[in-house]
Amino acid sequence: MRTSKEFDNVLDECLERVLVKGETIEQCLQRYPKQAAELEPLLQTALVAKKALAIQPRAEFKARARYQFRSALQEVASKRSRPLFGWFPQWATVVTIVLVLMLVGGGTVVAADNSMPDELLYPVKLETERVRLILTPSDIGKAQLCARLADRRVAEIIYMANKGDAQQVELIAQRLDKRLVMLAGLASALKAGGAPEVLAPAPAEEAPPPAPAPAGEARGGKGVHAGADNRAKLRMTVAHYAANHPQALRAVLEKAPESAKPALRRAIAVSVAGYKRALEALD
Amino acid sequence: MQDEESLVRRAQRHDQEAFAQLYEEHFDKIYRYVTLRIGNETEAEDMAQQVFLNALQSISSFKWKGIPFSAWLFRIAHNQVVDFLRRKKRIAVPLDESLTSNDNNPQLMAERKLDIEQLLLATKRLTEAQREVISLRFAGELSIAQVAKVMGKSQGAVKALQHSAIVALRKALSVT
Repeated sequence: MRTSKEFDNVLDECLERVLVKGETIEQCLQRYPKQAAELEPLLQTALVAKKALAIQPRAEFKARARYQFRSALQEVASKRSRPLFGWFPQWATVVTIVLVLMLVGGGTVVAADNSMPDELLYPVKLETERVRLILTPSDIGKAQLCARLADRRVAEIIYMANKGDAQQVELIAQRLDKRLVMLAGLASALKAGGAPEVLAPAPAEEAPPPAPAPAGEARGGKGVHAGADNRAKLRMTVAHYAANHPQALRAVLEKAPESAKPALRRAIAVSVAGYKRALEALD
Repeated sequence: MQDEESLVRRAQRHDQEAFAQLYEEHFDKIYRYVTLRIGNETEAEDMAQQVFLNALQSISSFKWKGIPFSAWLFRIAHNQVVDFLRRKKRIAVPLDESLTSNDNNPQLMAERKLDIEQLLLATKRLTEAQREVISLRFAGELSIAQVAKVMGKSQGAVKALQHSAIVALRKALSVT
């Protein structure tokens, strides 16, 4: 194979003309008669490679993905427009909330913990969960909490679907999605032993270095077993929910009011995809 | 390009519509790129979606310094693919019919499916770098300059790689 710079440039020029500008291969060969014999088979091959454009995502997947992405966008936007604590530093917000909850009394928090989305204490429940997540120091602890919160969201979806409240089902499904995305991110981080996966692109290199060993493994001894045990427990919990949550939601779908069914179907899609991602990250 | 720049700036200010527009514009290309790299539709779906969720989280870190947004996006996709291949070392599963299901003509669909299967099989015989350049150029529809940014190579190096990749693909297609 000839690898002269000049030929590489001619080939690229012809590729642009044939693939982008719509010239025929013959037209291009006429421009470069000296290289025509070598160019022709390569341009024919390029036309075969162009068939990759026929690869299309499934319509139903695209619809689900679009919905999930829109939910994530709304989540980001709502975080930025939160008026009450928006101007507070995060640590101050946490301390304030914890103090308020302590003053209000543990009973309220416990009561809120069991509240449903159509009840007065539900916002306290959500805020308490947020504080718990912030205050949980380890990634494994956060991941376990995310799994438990996902379980709560599914129970709430079932409750609201039975009441025929499509809007609430939609909202809770978004919250469920958020927790499952977070769970998958934390699971990836646990596996890599570092920060959550690609949040920003890495500098251009051939390939990233191999993932470092988890912190527990680096220390050896008990840490290794404790870390592995916790991950195994987390995987069991997630696998259990992955099997049961979509099944429970499907069971409700059969008897739910018609008005709630589209939102419920989206919730099922969110749970199936979310748990799949999380399990893959844990494998 | 000016339009994309203003869209990206709006997205960085958390303008939902702007980001949604960027998503619609790039989603299929990212999906095709990931599919051609890993050859597995189900994994490609999740990975393509994750690329955009990651982009949403890190959009504020994107600096408009002559690097197109698409190159930045493909860089995220590239990192995910590399990470996936390193962790899983999985062999691609046969193509699902749904890959080319957006056409109502069954004969045309069958032909396309065959073409794509053949292409995916052939690309598996290429080196990682060759497969990367073919995926970015032909599935991602990036220019040489954009591919160079994504791969962190000079344009000359990418052109040489493109040449060797097409030669290798030709050989591989004659075998499959």
